[in-house]
Amino acid sequence: MKKYILIISTLFICQTAFAQSAQDEAFKAYSENGKLKFDSKRGHVLWTKKHPDKEDKDRQCSTCHTKDLTQKGKHAKTGKVIEPMAPSVNKDRYTKLKKINKWFKRNCKWTLGRECTNQEKGDILKYLTQQ
Amino acid sequence: MPNKIINKVVIWDLPTRVFHWLLLASYLLAWITYADNRFLYFHVFVGYIFFGLLIFRLAWGFIGTHYAQFRSFAQDWSSVTEYLKGLINGKAMRYIGHNPIGGYAIFAMLLLGFIISISGLLTLAGEEGHGPLQGMVNYSVGIASHSIHEILAWVMLLLTIVHVLGVIVESIWHKENLVWAMLSGQKEAAAGTSSIQGHHLLALSISMVVIIVTPIYFNGYLKETADKLYQPYKGPVLPDNASWRENCSECHIAFHPSLLPARSWQKIFNTQHQHFEDDLDLDDETITELLKFHLDNAAEKELTEAARKILYYTPENVTPIRITKTIYWEKKHKDIDEAYWKHDKIKIKGNCDACHLDAKEGTYEDSDMRLPELE
Ligand code: HEC
Ligand code: HEC
Ligand code: HEC
Repeated sequence: MKKYILIISTLFICQTAFAQSAQDEAFKAYSENGKLKFDSKRGHVLWTKKHPDKEDKDRQCSTCHTKDLTQKGKHAKTGKVIEPMAPSVNKDRYTKLKKINKWFKRNCKWTLGRECTNQEKGDILKYLTQQ
Repeated sequence: MPNKIINKVVIWDLPTRVFHWLLLASYLLAWITYADNRFLYFHVFVGYIFFGLLIFRLAWGFIGTHYAQFRSFAQDWSSVTEYLKGLINGKAMRYIGHNPIGGYAIFAMLLLGFIISISGLLTLAGEEGHGPLQGMVNYSVGIASHSIHEILAWVMLLLTIVHVLGVIVESIWHKENLVWAMLSGQKEAAAGTSSIQGHHLLALSISMVVIIVTPIYFNGYLKETADKLYQPYKGPVLPDNASWRENCSECHIAFHPSLLPARSWQKIFNTQHQHFEDDLDLDDETITELLKFHLDNAAEKELTEAARKILYYTPENVTPIRITKTIYWEKKHKDIDEAYWKHDKIKIKGNCDACHLDAKEGTYEDSDMRLPELE
């Protein structure tokens, strides 16, 4: 029994460590060699900022992810359920750098119609990881 | 006028009557359920009942009571011609059992019934890979049997109509209700004609068999729960791939490669940067692996019936990038009410798993689809 508790807690520590390292790496990469500083308040504003699309409907990050990050979201187009974005309720969030980068690229293009700048990505990630 | 003594006697034994009405019921239910894939499991059930009843009737034709025996209604040719002449002159003879033409019509219907049952089982095995003959026949036998099954079903419908018309005409002619006779078993007969034996216990047994097998066959439906709906038919286990599950199920369900031809997948992966409104932006290594998996298992590999049909209906010079724009898909879903597609639970046509219980496995078996409740 003790052995299992040990293994399980090690796994948890490892996961937190992974998450930490993926996020650290992301912040390091977005900071452009430490030049940029990130602020979660700016990130929060960006999260709910409205961007009109071709049909003049507003697109926001929260269109799919909702404003309350502890809640499940829903893909605007396909309706597929998206697990909560807040790491406090969803431990799997922001644990892989590749995944974070992939979705920033996809979702910024979809929402803003362009890729996000490093400043924007860093601010948003700061906001997201603090939830 | 001579004093004819008329009495009521039982002509049709109870097993024959039970057979007759159960056969009619299963036959009508088979017609009602044949056109919609959702009801295949039910259609097959009434088919089994139909087949079982015919087998009983075949045996009863040899060992049953007098009027139920085949030799009592297989009359010689001269009686047939005589009866026909009588029909034309408006003086057709009255028979207590089947009249000569009616008798042969019964033979024809029984024979048709047998061929329809067996071709149905062959279709189920060949086209769907289910039923007692599964694995014994290939797909082309399935298609051929399907045609026979359908054509003979129509022929039998025609014969049924003739049979019913015959009953009506004869009832009017001889002023006796033949439908009631098949219910009560009784007819009026000259004195001296004696009733046949009732065989009530046998009739009761036949009814009991039907009553007992029904809940056994549909057991899965009785036990299903809202989040685990019953899937009567399980399809084959299709080839899987972890990278496909991971990368292609993020925004919608992962559509199995068998649902589009190879050229379509080639195009979808070539245009990955404009994937509908999204940029998939997958790296080369991932794309290579995913593309291989899709080409290896594309519709051309005919892994499922859906794959075969989608391929068959797609003209060779067309490269659809949507499953939901293929001719076969549109044909199969054209009757679904518009309200479903607009509803929040479904939203897009590609939300296959809103209705197909086996969408994630990719098998799209008959009877495994349920329209969700819209509130
Ligand atoms: C069209 C729907 C949609 C919109 C709009 C959207 N996202 Fe996403 N996002 C997704 C989906 C789907 C995922 C993958 C979810 C999963 O892994 O459970 C995702 C994942 C992410 C992730 C990765 C999370 C992780 O676990 O690593 C980040 C970061 C992200 N989104 C940021 C954003 C930002 C920033 C915006 C606004 C610019 C945005 N999203 C707008 C659909 C959307
Ligand atoms: C970033 C989100 C996203 C990802 C990841 C994604 N798709 Fe899609 N896909 C979409 C959207 C949006 C649609 C269009 C939905 C609609 O409007 O009906 C779509 C539609 C499709 C369709 C057509 C469905 C139909 O209507 O018949 C196919 C096929 C498809 N995707 C294949 C794939 C494959 C293969 C992958 C993995 C390599 C993949 N998708 C990954 C967003 C995505
Ligand atoms: C709104 C509910 C709904 C959605 C969504 C839906 N289907 Fe269907 N589908 C049905 C129904 C109902 C039938 C049976 C139609 C009939 O036979 O009349 C059917 C039939 C089929 C069949 C024929 C089955 C057979 O055995 O002949 C295939 C294949 C199929 N669907 C594939 C798909 C795929 C692939 C998708 C997603 C791209 C999809 N469906 C989305 C409801 C749906």
